[in-house]
Amino acid sequence: MTDRTIAVDYLARVEGEGALIVRIHNATVEHVELRIFEPPRFFEAFLRGRSYREAPDITARICGICPVAYQMSACHAMERALGVSVGGPLRDLRRLLYCGEWIESHALHIYLLHAPDFLGYPDAIRMAKDHRELVQQGLRLKKIGNALMQLLGGREIHPINVRVGGFYRCPTRAELDGFRPELESAFTLAEATARFAAGLDFPDVEEDYDFVALRHASEYPMNEGDVVSSRGLQIAVDDFEEEFREIQVPHSNALQSVRKDGNPYLVGPLARYALNYDRLRPRAASLARETGLGHVVRNPYQSIIVRAIETAQACEEGLAIIDRYVLPDSPSVPLPSVASPVSGAAITEAPRGMLYHRYRLASGGTIEDARIVAPTSQNQKRIEEDLRHLVERSIDLADAPLTDACERAIRNHDPCISCATHFLRLELARD
Amino acid sequence: MPEPAAPDAAVPLVVGIGNEHRRDDGCGLAVARALRSRLGSRAEVVELSGDPTALLDLWADRDLAVAVDATRSTGPPGGIVRAGPSEIAALPPATTDSTHGISLVEIARLGESLGRMPRHLVVYGIEADDLSRGIGFTAAVAAAVPVVVQRIEREIAEWERTAGGRGNADA
Repeated sequence: MTDRTIAVDYLARVEGEGALIVRIHNATVEHVELRIFEPPRFFEAFLRGRSYREAPDITARICGICPVAYQMSACHAMERALGVSVGGPLRDLRRLLYCGEWIESHALHIYLLHAPDFLGYPDAIRMAKDHRELVQQGLRLKKIGNALMQLLGGREIHPINVRVGGFYRCPTRAELDGFRPELESAFTLAEATARFAAGLDFPDVEEDYDFVALRHASEYPMNEGDVVSSRGLQIAVDDFEEEFREIQVPHSNALQSVRKDGNPYLVGPLARYALNYDRLRPRAASLARETGLGHVVRNPYQSIIVRAIETAQACEEGLAIIDRYVLPDSPSVPLPSVASPVSGAAITEAPRGMLYHRYRLASGGTIEDARIVAPTSQNQKRIEEDLRHLVERSIDLADAPLTDACERAIRNHDPCISCATHFLRLELARD
Repeated sequence: MPEPAAPDAAVPLVVGIGNEHRRDDGCGLAVARALRSRLGSRAEVVELSGDPTALLDLWADRDLAVAVDATRSTGPPGGIVRAGPSEIAALPPATTDSTHGISLVEIARLGESLGRMPRHLVVYGIEADDLSRGIGFTAAVAAAVPVVVQRIEREIAEWERTAGGRGNADA
């Protein structure tokens, strides 16, 4: 009888505090537990009693990497509650701001967090000594994403220019035209990124994911669409809580999301790509073909290529938006007073996947109830499945390389633990 | 986004780093604001609350860069720490799992790897007490801010005196 215990205190290169426990008994994986011990932050609770107008700025504080996602989901949910529609250039500007966040977040993960796994370095700082130009390339791309967020949002972290109904100020045509060469250069960098990523060595692994993402009638999803899955689900956003539920597990301060049958699912780049390949813009689609990716990618390690394709998509989308931009008459649409209680829900595609917000407003517009479901809490249970399969495949590995492999498998999904608690320490136990 | 004109490498850079909405964490920004009015065109003064990798562009190839940030170590609140190039190199890696915030020490190491460092880097730290949400410093940190302002002003004056900055800022 073989009992082994492996423990790692903190998982590196993911955001937030959590741990992983894998129990192995007689070469059988008995239990996998992604522990999230970062304290819960009770955002939903302190939204109560605040004006609906404050929700975009309060919820943006949940994350420093994807504040735009929180702002967008909050704005859309409130606008649905109020019966307001934001279209035309204002809708485009929101999408352009989101492009900035995708570029920045994907560049950060590809170059500073994920690439060291493929090139055999413990972190980007040591990787930079041998791969200086590669890291510079990533930083240039990230900088352009940040600059786009600054141009539209006032600053790159926790933008201050977003409001329910639109913006406080819209950029001039000249300001966007001035940014065009930067975004074109970002597309070239994204192409180079995809070619670099496609040339990496990937473990020969395929997972049977139940992909879930938004799908829009004509666009690669960002702000709007139905919720669809690779197993045939297609529902309106309003029905999200009918099909997906959050469960409390003892080892996690974040709730875990599952399908209503209790099964895990995956959101994020792999899901978006598989369910929306036909919505990629022409140059991004051409780049995907050049890299040899199929229409569906089930190898989680290849998410690095998919992120690069999505970065190119965001650049191409941004360029198209700039080219058709006309300064709107007003930076926001008028908002009605809230005469009677209303509620609204929205999902937008954060870089890590679907972000659900639902609010109930009292008459007068104060928030009575809020519910936020972040991408990492949706992926948490599915990451546990990836880990279980990895350990089963790699059971003969010594403790140290097995632990490294587990950490790497988690990073494939770019989890944001802070978002999930509104989550990673790693511990591998063999008894 | 038009690329900003390349800064004059001989003009010292002062960067205040922090978040003024996390109480004492804003002390680096307060130092920068005070130095901007006192130094005028003698230095480029920047307040940095966003992506710390921006430091690489700001300080690369500068003759002198001075960074000011709140610190958390074993010292008393309001305590002032100054680290020159040799001390910075000896600092332990910051104990953070964050991918969102890269520490000043890690940025300096990344800059070394990338060859994007100033010729001389000096870091001032003010030991923080309260990093909770809100505006305003604790008394000890508030008292340390003008002291650091004076010390950096003296440091830059000394830099100017020593053959236009060909002296040793780590002295």
